[in-house]
Formats: sequence, C-alpha cells, structure tokens
Amino acid sequence: MAETKEKSLSDEKPKPRVRPIVRLGIFLISHSFLVSVVCCTAGVLALFLLPVLAKNTYISENALMPGSASPMLSNQHVSDGNRLVKDLTNPNSKSSETGIESHKIIAQYMLDLGAEVSFHKFHPQMNQFHPLHFFSSPVSGKIQENYSCSSYGINTVGIIRAPRGDGKEAIVLVTPYNALKSGFGEALSLGIAYSVFSLLTQVTWLAKDIIWLVADSQYGEYAAVAAWLREYQSPKFSSLSTPNAEMCPDVNNLFELKGHSISGSKFSNSFRRAGTMAAALVLKVRDQNEQFEDTISIYAEASNGQMPNLDLINVVNYLAVHRQGLRVNVEKLWPLLNSSWLKSLGEIFESLAKVAKSLYPKWKFGIPATEYVEGTATLASSLYYQALGVPTGPHGAFRDYQVDAITLEISPKFSLDKVWRNDILLRGGRLIEGVIRSVNNLLEKFHQSFFLYLLTSPSKFVSVGVYMIAFALLIAPLPMVAASLYVDANSSSNYSKGDSSTPSAITDTDEHGIAIRSWRWLNSAKLVFIVHLWGAIVSLLPYFISQIPDCSPTTSFMIWVLLSILSLLTSNSVLASPLACAKATQEKEWALVKSVTISSVFIGLGLMSVINFATAEIGALLMVPMCLLARPLKLDVRAGTLRSFCRLICNLVLGHIAFPPAAFFLLKGMLDGFGNANVGDFWMWVESLWAWNSATYLFIGMVQLPCWVLCVSILFHTC
Amino acid sequence: MEKVKKKIGSFSFWNWVTASIIFRLILIYFPKNLNLSSRPEVSTPLTSFRRLAEGYWLKQSFMSPYAGSMYHGSPLLLSLLGPLTINRIEGQPNHLLYSLVSVIADVVSAMLIRATGQNLRLAYLRSLESLDLVKQIEVSEFLFSGDIAALIYLCNPFTIVACVGLSTSPIENMAVILCLYGACSRLIPLAAFGWVIATHLSLYPAILIIPVIFLLGCGPDSPPRKLFLQRHQQKEVLNQSKLPPRFSWGPVIHFAFWAFLWSVYVLVLCGISLKQFGGLWEMFKSTYGFILTVEDLSPNIGVLWYFFAEVFEFFRNFFLIVFHVNILFMILPLAIRLRHRPCYLAFVYVAICSMLKSYPSVGDSALYLGLLGWFVNELADMQFSLFLFCGYVGVSLLSPVMHNLWIWRGTGNANFYFATAMVYACLQIVLVVEGVSAMLNHDRKLRNLITGKPQDAKS
Repeated sequence: MAETKEKSLSDEKPKPRVRPIVRLGIFLISHSFLVSVVCCTAGVLALFLLPVLAKNTYISENALMPGSASPMLSNQHVSDGNRLVKDLTNPNSKSSETGIESHKIIAQYMLDLGAEVSFHKFHPQMNQFHPLHFFSSPVSGKIQENYSCSSYGINTVGIIRAPRGDGKEAIVLVTPYNALKSGFGEALSLGIAYSVFSLLTQVTWLAKDIIWLVADSQYGEYAAVAAWLREYQSPKFSSLSTPNAEMCPDVNNLFELKGHSISGSKFSNSFRRAGTMAAALVLKVRDQNEQFEDTISIYAEASNGQMPNLDLINVVNYLAVHRQGLRVNVEKLWPLLNSSWLKSLGEIFESLAKVAKSLYPKWKFGIPATEYVEGTATLASSLYYQALGVPTGPHGAFRDYQVDAITLEISPKFSLDKVWRNDILLRGGRLIEGVIRSVNNLLEKFHQSFFLYLLTSPSKFVSVGVYMIAFALLIAPLPMVAASLYVDANSSSNYSKGDSSTPSAITDTDEHGIAIRSWRWLNSAKLVFIVHLWGAIVSLLPYFISQIPDCSPTTSFMIWVLLSILSLLTSNSVLASPLACAKATQEKEWALVKSVTISSVFIGLGLMSVINFATAEIGALLMVPMCLLARPLKLDVRAGTLRSFCRLICNLVLGHIAFPPAAFFLLKGMLDGFGNANVGDFWMWVESLWAWNSATYLFIGMVQLPCWVLCVSILFHTC
Repeated sequence: MEKVKKKIGSFSFWNWVTASIIFRLILIYFPKNLNLSSRPEVSTPLTSFRRLAEGYWLKQSFMSPYAGSMYHGSPLLLSLLGPLTINRIEGQPNHLLYSLVSVIADVVSAMLIRATGQNLRLAYLRSLESLDLVKQIEVSEFLFSGDIAALIYLCNPFTIVACVGLSTSPIENMAVILCLYGACSRLIPLAAFGWVIATHLSLYPAILIIPVIFLLGCGPDSPPRKLFLQRHQQKEVLNQSKLPPRFSWGPVIHFAFWAFLWSVYVLVLCGISLKQFGGLWEMFKSTYGFILTVEDLSPNIGVLWYFFAEVFEFFRNFFLIVFHVNILFMILPLAIRLRHRPCYLAFVYVAICSMLKSYPSVGDSALYLGLLGWFVNELADMQFSLFLFCGYVGVSLLSPVMHNLWIWRGTGNANFYFATAMVYACLQIVLVVEGVSAMLNHDRKLRNLITGKPQDAKS
C-alpha cells in the first residue's frame, strides 16, 4: 500500500499503468473521509429502514402443512384436562412438604393414559464461570460439584411411543411446574398439555414419539430443563465416588414409597429416552392478565442470540392466528412505542413511499407510521435480547443441543370462569395439537427456513442478507481509514515534510529508512496486543472476585475497577511501557496506533457479527464513530478551527459514552429512568452475562474495552 | 525496527526461548480445557495423535497398524512415539511424555533455524562485501535474522497450538529444518537424513531436493551471479576469489549417495517392522496413497476436502492429477528464477505445499512463517505486511468460530467453514507472491546500486 502513494507521485515513470482495482483502492483511500461519512450514515439509516424492508413470513418447509388437518381435540379431552387441573389445585394435594404428591398425581394420570413414566431427579447446577464455554460442546467440562441432599428437584417425564414411528425421533412438550407454590396458570398449562397428551395416546398418525416433561421449576425453569436435557443427551457413566441424587437416603425413600403407591407396569425408576428431538415446545399460562383478548406470546431467543428455525415460529403463528383466533405477539421494547421522534421518522418514510409510489406505481415499500413504530420497537427488543445472549426462557436449553424450541405463553383475558377455562383449554390444546401434527410430518430436521433473522412482528422478519447490509455499511469505513492512515504515516516518514510533491528519490543511505518503512507498524501492533492482553486479564478478574465471600455488588465492582487499573499500570510499566514508547518515536506514531487499533476493531466486530450479530451491531454503533474520530486532542486544540473544535467535542462525548459501564448506565437510564441507578447494577449485569456463557461478555472485555482504552490513549497522545 | 533489534539484542534471546517453553508447559497442564487435539486445524488424519495411539494399539495386538484406515503415518513413528501414547505418570496429565517430546522437537527446530539463519546472514554479508556494497547498505543495521526466525518459530501461536495439540507436525517440521540446516552447513549426511525422513513422514518435502541441490552445489543465498560479474567488469579486475563458486557436482553426488543409503536404511527398518502386516507395499498404499488420493474428506483448513466432496466420482482421478500437478508446475519456474537463493526457494516451496497439500494443518504454516524470519533483512520493504498480519489473525480466530457455527450450533453450514479456508489460501498466495516480488525487488535494488542507476521508485 505504501507503493500506491509513490506510484501516484511518480508520474514521469514510463509505467504509470495501474490496474483498475488498485486505482479504485487508491481512490477510496484518498477519499476515506467522505467515504466513511457516507458509509456510516448509510449504515445507521439502513438500520432504521429495516422495519420497512421486513418481509412477510412464509412457511418454507412443504412437509409441515400446518392446519391442513382438522383438529381432533374434543371436549372429552378438555374435560380430562380439567380433571387434572382440579386435582392439582385441590388443597389436599398440597399438603405434602416437598410437593411430591402433585408429581405423583401427574405421574398417575400419565400412567392411566398408557404412557411410559419416569422421574428424573436432579440437582440444580450452580452458575459457573466458564467464559470459553461457547467454543466447546455443551456437554464437555461439566464437573460434578459437592451436592447436598437437601436440594433436589424432580422432573416427571411421560413418553408416548408412536404407533407409526421407529422410535428414532421425538417431539418434546415442556410444562414448567412448581409443586410448592404453583399458581393457577401453571396448573392450567398442565391441563392443556394433558388434554393434548390424552389425545395423542389415541391417534394413529403419530410418527414421532411424544415426550411430556413436567419440569420442576422450584430452582428455576431453565435449570430443570437443562438438567433433564443434559441427562438425556449425555448419559453419565460416572464413577461411584461422585455423589448424585440417587445416593441420598431421603430421596430413595421417597421413590420407594412411590413405587408402591403408583400402580402400573410402565413406571420405571430409570431414565427413559426416546429418539432425537425434532422440536420442543414450552407451554406456559400467565396468571395475571391485562390483555383485552386472548394473546399468545412467543419467546424464541436462546443463548448467544441463537434463534430457532423460523418455520417453527411460522407454524405457531399461522395456527394461532388463522385457526384458533388468538392474538400473537412477540416482545417489544415498550418505551420506544411512545417516542415521538420514531413516529415522525415513520411518517417521513411513509410519505417518501407515497411519493415513490406516485412516481412509479410498482414501487410499494411503504408501511404506515404506526406499524413502523411497532416494528421498530419489536426489532429493538429482538436486537436487545439477542445481544444480551441470555435465553428468554427454558427453550434456551434446547438450542444448546441444536433442537429448535420456543416458549409459548398464553395470556387469557378472563379469570376463573368455567366456560372460559374450557375455552382456553380447547383452543390452547388445539394449537399445540396442530403444531405437533405439523412437526410430526417433518421428514428431516428443520433446515429449510432461516436461523439468522430478526423479528419485526410475529409475521414479519428481516433475514440475515438484509440486516448484514446495514452492518457491513457501518464497518466498511474501518479498513479504508486504517489503510489511509497507514499510507499517510508511511509516506510522511519517507518524504521530508513540505516538499511531498517532489519525492526525493530514496538514496542509497536511506536503506535503513526502507527497512523501517514496511514493518514500522510492529511497534503499534505490540501496543495494541498488550492492551488486548490486558482486556483478557480484566475479563478473567471477576472469576477471582466472585470467590470472595459476602461481597456486595458495589464492593465487587469497585474491586474490579481497582484491580483493572492496577493491572493496566503494571502491564504498562513491565511490558516495555508501551504507551510511553508510542509517544517517543515519531510524531505520526498515533496514526499508526490508530490504524492498527482500527484493524483490530474490524477483526473483532467481524468475528462478533458471526457469533452474535446483535452484539456486533450495537457495539459497532458505539465503537465505529469513536475509532474513526479519535485524534490527539492537542492537535485539535492547536488547530483551533471550527471543524477541529467539533471533532474535539465529538471525541470527548464519544470517549465518555463508549466506556462500557457508562454505556450500560446510559441505556439503563433511558429504559428505566435515572432515578434508581446503582453502581452495583453493572456488576450484577456482568455476572448474569458470564453465568449464562454469553459471548457478549467476552466481546465487552476483549474488544470494546481495549478499543476504548486505545482510543483514549490516542486522544491524550502528546505529539 | 531498530527498537525490535535492540530489544532482541539486549532483552536476550534466551529469555524469550524460556518464556515460550514455560508457556507451552503451562498449556500442557490444561489439555482437557483446551481440547486442542480434536481441532481440525491442528490434527489432520496424518498428524493426529489419537490415530497414532490407535495404530500403536493395533500393532500391539498383532494387527496391521493400517487396518481400518485409522493410522496413516510412518511405522517408524509407531515404534518411536507409540510407547509414549500409553505411558503415563501417576498424577500427571495423560500425554505428558509425548507433549514433552513435542516441546523438545520445537526447541531443537528453533535452534537449528537459528544456526541456519546465522549462516545465511554471514553468507549475505560476505557477498555484500565482495560486491563492495558494505558502505552503501548499513550493515550495522542488519538484524540477526537467525534469532528473529527462531523466535518467530517458537512464539508463533500456530507452533504452540500444534505442539500442545499433540500433533506430529513438530517432528515433521524438525525433519525439514534438519535437512535445510544440514545443507546450509554442508553436513551432507545430515542433510540427506533430514530429507529422507521428511519425505518419509509427509511426502511433500520431497521437492525440497531442488533447493538442497542448489545449496550444496553453489552455497547459501547470495545475490545473482550476474551482479558479481558486472561488478568486476566495472572494476576491470577479475578476481576469481571474490566470485561465488560455480556449481559443483561433487557434493550433490555425495548427497545422492547418502540419500540413497538413508532411504534404503529407512525402508529396511519399515520392512522389518511391517513384516507380518503386508510389508512395504501396504505402507506405501496407506501413507503416500492416502495422501495422494485424498480419501479422507473430513474438513480441514485446506481447500481440497470441499472440492473432492463435491466432485463427481468419474472426474475424481482427473482432478486429483490436476491438483497435484499444480504443485509440480510451480517447481520449475521458481527454481529458475530463485536459483541463486536456495533457502528462499525452500521457503517458497514449503509455503506452496502447505497451501496445496491434501491435509494441511497449522503446523505447516508455523514452519514457513518461521523460515520467513530468515529473510527479514531482504524483505524489509515487503508490501501488505500489516494486511497479511491482520489477515492471519482474523482467519485463525474466525476459523474456530465458523467450525462451531457449523458443527455445534447448526446455524451455519460447510460453506461457512470453507469460506475461511479459502481466505486462508488467498492469504498464503498473497504472502508468497508479495514475498517473491519483494525478494526480486531486493535483487533489483542491489543491481541498481552496482550499476549506479537512480533508484527505481517502482518497487
């Protein structure tokens, strides 16, 4: 690249013929300022255009055929379900301390239907710090901890073997249930699942086994499902020394007792399995209701922003809306719904679309402003939950094993009415039946439709091909600016300042200059490397801090900050004082540092966009402007023009905003109000991130924080 | 650069060597957490440790080690390294002994690279002296390329990963380096031994025979012979002693003799160890045959697996020939153009092989990146250095992520992973092209210095 500048300067040479692609490169690099402004603006604009560009969903897999068969769930099954609900809500069943009675009732009901029933005992797994978990398989590296016999949960599992299947595939239905303090909603969800289950024992079309998992949610819904899945997918052939639930005498007693009390040959104490899972549905019924009609909420985000196949959502959405008359909604970011600027933006887009349509009738891309605002709110929440990397429900556990799963939460409109209860049982049951029947038709895994998408409404989505454009536009300036800075820094060192138009031919004694030229970036690379190493250390520190007993979040956070600063200073002094040495050598050193920083940010963002797009997008919105604008403050102060003054202000503002904790508090303040912000909140947030193995944590620690430090060091560069 | 040099001078080479060894030892103690030995980037069907252990187990139970298409390496490795796969020390990580052997192999390779680099540097200085360019090119600024190359080899994450990931590539690399070292310091039996072993272990180093012949025939890298003649014509005195020696056939024949001897020796040893299991033919079929016919299509960082997974069966042989001839096609032109720089030629050959070989791993890249360090002085104004560096960093991070996306998450597919493999191949091409052109430019610059022409700005 150093060559390009020379080439453009040496016109008198007989071979100025430059290949077109090189000429294009030179053009882009020499106009990098303009290009980056245009690209960044286009990137942000494209992000806001996404709700307009969203396409309607369609069912891509033909085998699914949702709704082609009429539902078979009858009032008989509904009354069966009602019976279970009554038994469970009966105060007698709650007399037991451990809630084992309700599990027995459920198991008995399952057995009466002729299903195979087993109990699965588990210990809730403590959240551990394994930040690199993302790269390994879900089962590796699980080490048994010391369990006490006092805390364990019991999942009840019922399996129907398919009359037409070969037992190699299964569909999972999950209903979280807390036997100790179950609300009416949970009982109702069990009732719905039971009515479907009772139907499925009779039907002849079943080709995949049905597993009904009643997950004991007293330690959290996710933990129960995850424990069951772990056992299902990776049987433990553990040595006898590791204590597990079976060894606790207390538990054994309970189960022996159960063995006697439950009649039926199909009950087994051992773990039961069916085939590989084709799909999983988690069913919940919400207790309190503020909706005006029966709605069903879909939660789909699993860990690290993974989504189930779009077809699964499509099937649920299609059946709920067109067959059962339920309203489907997905999570929205509510504060955005009332924002006036978004509304006016929507109106602008709408009027633009009108103008376009009047010019050429075939251009139909506008959507009404209200729809735009709703779409944006949904998109924002979709981005937010994906970026967080924390699953939004127990379905997240399935995604770790490549099983497509979603959580359906039914929010009914009335309360405690007999007719209404039957109605919701019937409609919910028919929805589940329809979905199971569709999935039952599948010949292969879900693979036809998208895995990488953002939802803007239950029936609209933005696919990866569209949203990547916005991201690509946003980060496109990075390599260009890096190249132009690199070329500038190199050429300025070669030619004495002032007469850059007449390139003094590299004289013989300039040999050393040449030797430096091409590899001079090594120094800056060392600095960048050391700062990233520091970032890695900072990301590992919480592991040690979390070992300190009885530490409030605020103190932990303070310790973390102190240790981070300390380690930065140490690495700065021990490892050849990179910041100081950057100052010393040349005046253009900062440009090289900036160039290498930008390259590293580009790599980091590119990587993250593959791992978790939403994190990368939000990170790019924060980091790209900061990286591009960073320039020593001294230079701007010295220049004293309006432009440099603007840049100074921008730099200072961005320098504050892009600091991860500051960005967190800003975002939190915008969503919840600034009143109850607390320093410890950030620690809790970070803790939740690493407890859920979110890659966002690594991104913040190893890309964003080092980038911020490097940019700040450029800002305060003495040149 | 000056800083780097001073650092290496003062900071002392040995500190860095110790640091890199300690780093390896630390990593060896966490084999479970890293799980490097199962990464496709590290262990190919040829270099995998698991397959070695399997082959050893088969042989112990009186079966052919090549049964079941598990093991595809040399029978000699089985006898030498096989016992280490089952020997354990109580309370230590499982494959500690084997890991230690890899670490030792790495250190030995680094030392050999260092010695060769020093040789090359001396030869370069000598030739500059005889060209009377010492004043014009500040020789004092010359970097100790041997030290730098050794450190690049030792501290390269690729080398570390290949070493900790229990692959056999450290040993294969050591054989290649041994061959080049022997040829540079004119230890002909050693060079022949290295060449025979390297060829025996992984076939591709066979083409290194050309640089080795040049090395033995006319000595280590120097500017083109033409320059010397021009220089002396200017001075009008033909001082024969200052000219580089002409090509001499003596050492080459000596080398051929030794190579023949060593290969007979190796073949006899292999024959003895495989006497009951089908003999040498079986060995050739499941080592060289396996390499050449690309039987195993499991993903790796090369480009052949994807292609041969797609290609129709009846075109397969044709494309096998095309892909392998690709390497052979490049041998001759490069040999003609770079015949005055045999070590650089060896580097280019190794790089091309690691790009086009059927089962490449990061260990191969580690080798040629280490060899690149020998030429820091000549390649000082190589272009796109930052771009290449960022590319290597980016690809080596992206590749595991894409693999994860494809295999574990199921949201990606084979194309995702293959895309990184293609980018990686492109990077290697850019590296080779830029490296060769930088080297030719360097020669051109020397010529201009001699003829007194103004410096050509076109670089």
